[in-house]
Amino acid sequence: MSKIGVFICHCGENISATVDVERVAREIGGMEGVAHAIDYKYMCSDPGQTFIKEAVKKYGLDGVVVGACSPRMHEPTFRRACAEAGLNPYLCEMANLREHCSWVHEKSEETTEKAIDLVKMMVEKVKKNKPLDSIKVPVTKRALVIGGGIAGIQASLDIANTGHKVILVERDPSIGGHMSQLSETFPTLDCSQCILTPRMVEVAQHPNIKLYTYAELESLEGFIGNFKAKIRLKAKSVNYSTCTGCGACIQKCPVKKIPSEFNAGLGTRTAIYVPFPQAVPNKPVIDRVNCNYYKRGACKICEKTCQVGSIEWDKEDEIITEEVGAVVLATGFDVKGTDFFPEYGYGQYKDVLTGLQFERLASASGPTFGEIRRPSDGAIPKKIVFIACAGSRDPAKGIPYCSKICCMYTAKHAMLYQHKVHDGESTVFYMDIRAGGKNYEEFVRRAIEEDTVNYVRGRVARVYEKNGKLIVKGVDTLLGGEQVEIEADMVVLATAGVANCGSEQLAQKLHVSYDPYHFFAEAHPKLKPVETNTAGIFLAGACQAPKDIPETVGMASGAAVKVAALFSNDELVREPVVAVVNRLAPPLYSTCVGCFMCETACPYNAIEHEEIKGRDGSLIRTIARVNQGLCQGCGTCVAFCRSKSIDIQGYTNEQVYAEVMSLLND
Amino acid sequence: MKKLRDRAAELLSQGVVSLVIGYEEGTKRPRPLFCRNSEGAEKLIFDSHCFHNLAVYITKKELVGKERFAVTAPISTLRSIMQLYVENQLSEEKLLVITVDLSGELREFTTFDEIAAYVAQFELKRGEREQEILSKIEGMTREERWKFWMEEMSHCFKCYACRSACPLCYCSKCVVEVNRPQWINPWPAPLANMEWHINRAMHMVGRCTACGACGDACPVGIPVDLITRKMMEDLAPEFGYVPGQPAKQGNALSSWKLDDREQFIR
Amino acid sequence: MSSNTDFEPKIIAFVCNWCTYAGADLTGTSRLKYATNVKIVRFPCTGRIDFLLLLKSFAQGADGVIVSGCHPNDCHYTSGNFHARRRWIAFRSILDLMGVDIRRIQYSWVSAAEGSKWADLVNNTVADIRALGPYAEYQKVADYLEKEGYNEEA
Repeated sequence: MSKIGVFICHCGENISATVDVERVAREIGGMEGVAHAIDYKYMCSDPGQTFIKEAVKKYGLDGVVVGACSPRMHEPTFRRACAEAGLNPYLCEMANLREHCSWVHEKSEETTEKAIDLVKMMVEKVKKNKPLDSIKVPVTKRALVIGGGIAGIQASLDIANTGHKVILVERDPSIGGHMSQLSETFPTLDCSQCILTPRMVEVAQHPNIKLYTYAELESLEGFIGNFKAKIRLKAKSVNYSTCTGCGACIQKCPVKKIPSEFNAGLGTRTAIYVPFPQAVPNKPVIDRVNCNYYKRGACKICEKTCQVGSIEWDKEDEIITEEVGAVVLATGFDVKGTDFFPEYGYGQYKDVLTGLQFERLASASGPTFGEIRRPSDGAIPKKIVFIACAGSRDPAKGIPYCSKICCMYTAKHAMLYQHKVHDGESTVFYMDIRAGGKNYEEFVRRAIEEDTVNYVRGRVARVYEKNGKLIVKGVDTLLGGEQVEIEADMVVLATAGVANCGSEQLAQKLHVSYDPYHFFAEAHPKLKPVETNTAGIFLAGACQAPKDIPETVGMASGAAVKVAALFSNDELVREPVVAVVNRLAPPLYSTCVGCFMCETACPYNAIEHEEIKGRDGSLIRTIARVNQGLCQGCGTCVAFCRSKSIDIQGYTNEQVYAEVMSLLND
Repeated sequence: MKKLRDRAAELLSQGVVSLVIGYEEGTKRPRPLFCRNSEGAEKLIFDSHCFHNLAVYITKKELVGKERFAVTAPISTLRSIMQLYVENQLSEEKLLVITVDLSGELREFTTFDEIAAYVAQFELKRGEREQEILSKIEGMTREERWKFWMEEMSHCFKCYACRSACPLCYCSKCVVEVNRPQWINPWPAPLANMEWHINRAMHMVGRCTACGACGDACPVGIPVDLITRKMMEDLAPEFGYVPGQPAKQGNALSSWKLDDREQFIR
Repeated sequence: MSSNTDFEPKIIAFVCNWCTYAGADLTGTSRLKYATNVKIVRFPCTGRIDFLLLLKSFAQGADGVIVSGCHPNDCHYTSGNFHARRRWIAFRSILDLMGVDIRRIQYSWVSAAEGSKWADLVNNTVADIRALGPYAEYQKVADYLEKEGYNEEA
């Protein structure tokens, strides 16, 4: 008969306030096969764990049930305690008395009875548990970083500097991301490119980093330590091994009016182009959608210009496979365009800009070489209005969250404007000023006090054009809702930061979760901010939620450390929750008949064909076998198997059957 | 008939196959014949009364041995053979399939694709008996259906003739024989009977070829074949297959579509 | 069916570890209250949930069953929930043909973020099953061996 120890936790008062824990321990103590049952204030505390360890030894327990919080919380804790006492950790199970009972029910007889049932269920399960050994799998010590903005750059450099190889994949022709588009950065007003471009160059030159620009992840298979990434190298139409980056082709390209993505649509570029002068790699690609040759079959001026014959017209997308052990997602964010705002003119007014467009105007490398000029007529705006929270914190617009960076960059924009247009007048409409961060509040105060930016607390109801001016109508809620009307020359919207386009599809390719706004979901909001729910895939930067540069860099380094920690071992120890096909003595060998329905159902290609051969080498039967490295333990195959020949460790048929039966047999 | 006998005798005497599974005259209806030499082949018959599903024998290793063998197969047997191919239970090199087509000509198949092409011209239709009982069931309320089946199930005494007759019940250990845990109680009782038949139907999803062998075999006349038949008819349009025409690309239950119905999921 | 006010239905929930189990944990952390009638059995994935377990639940006295997992595309294992969905389509079809009361099986998708949806799901299912009453029809058959035998008029 089993000798099971049951330990009921009060969790302070979290459980004991609504569940009669003593009664639970008493009643369970009378169950068949239970050798020892106690309750204690905090089972997870040191003395609590000691109780378990001592009981294991004293009573020679062959199973432990801890009735406490969710196993998602403390299962590892108690399993470790059991292991330390010499009991196989997989003989320990938890009954969820807190999240699934005491916290969701009022104090009552029924609540206590449910708690007893939950513990009983786990006791019955544990009776069927078998000792398991953890599985060791090799680790491929090479990381894949997706996204070459500051997050991806930082993560790549940090991982590469620990001595491990990194594959950095960037969708655009150059790395740099949004940070390369910024003019100055808050709160120090140092030039964004001056601090970023050295890092970009470092990435390009780092011996441990393999950079694929103009490339996208096609698919990811495998699991932690052993991923296979298929990467689509989009056809650049330029041979980078011969191209010298002289730029002659760009000069001669006749298609010159394409809105420049880098300049947020305020400038233009050619069809063969380098996104910006400091691009890494600093070699052009041909934009096939706009190129005359690809559109109409004639032109080829760039080919004639090219001294080294680097143009490759017939180049096709190439798909390469890289084996990696970990993935860092650093795909960043996007900002809403002005067309998202009917009240601010649907993007029809040329002088209503997004914050990102204003960055380009203020940037020395921008379309106006750093002079603040109106896109409509090139005039210097004398009156400018900044609208914070454009879209953000607005449930009606489907963006109830705070975009976090807008308060700071709006203060910066107003400040930059005042520095560049000395006789200009700037007004900021805001909801609240959120300036939490080192030197952030001081920075905003400087804008208000030293640079005399006019801060108005209130929302702007409408912006419309009248006689070449933009009429901004809002209210000042600090002055009792007084109407404010400003005739502005330019309006800048601090539009909401949103998940990057394609993030949902990417999440599905990688099997990571995402939130309702399509930002990738971290494994735990506080304790696992850089992990995802999929082991071996980590997050860095604004793909998880809007965040500023220091935070992004910090997170990227965090993700890099997680990767480095993973790579510090040659083998990875995995939970033995995997499927197994039964094996029997000859002449049966197994009850598996080899219909291989499990093979078609398996999402991980973990089912292999095992040939059973006789002594003479003749084939007796072909049965299924599970590759334990590939199996992730979903158990889908188990529910398919008609002859019940395949089972999953930790959730075996016997275990789950016992659980269900225990709940109903009164 | 003559052509079939001659060909079978030829195959056996030339050693192309070591066994021909076919039909011979029985007391009430044709019964299976296993001929291992050309004399035996003289007893072979093949007509519209030959509906016993011979596919049930071809997964029995002790019967067919290691040599190549042949089977004379009417449509229902052909369908089962196709399904067995899909489930990796047959090898194309080992099996020669012979049928007599509508014009009385002998046809031989050695591959799944050849059979599939031939079977495609035959639509799976309800017979008179099936139509009669199924339309009765279809007209019932849920409570009436429960009562109907419970009444039927109360006669079942778990002889498992339905299982033995089915060519697709080839597991070496059936789920009812699994006793850790004992999923389905082995004794005959309405519930255990009900569980067995629901289980059997679930195991047949996307597989049943509606040959009717199970119902035919039932000694107490429970229309067990109609459970799987109706299930196939109902699910075929939804899962995108043609009843009675097994397709190579996986089983209806072990594959899925993104837009599978889910109105019943809250 | 109106005299069922004292009837406390027994309901078993079969849930996946990654979405619904975590969602139910969130219900707890958010201190949302729901009926005590439901007990959760944890599975790695909805794909693991054997249809026989649902049958056994009814046989052993459950009045209702909840099956819940990750929303489509959110499965931790990519496609376990898609396989499960198909299996439930087929299972419902067969049960309905046999005359089993499929209203007593409530399928749902509850994500790890939907703590309040879980509470609502439980409360609504309990209310629905309460209205349907005990599943005596099935249990009567289940009790066959203890009682005299199956008698359709009894």
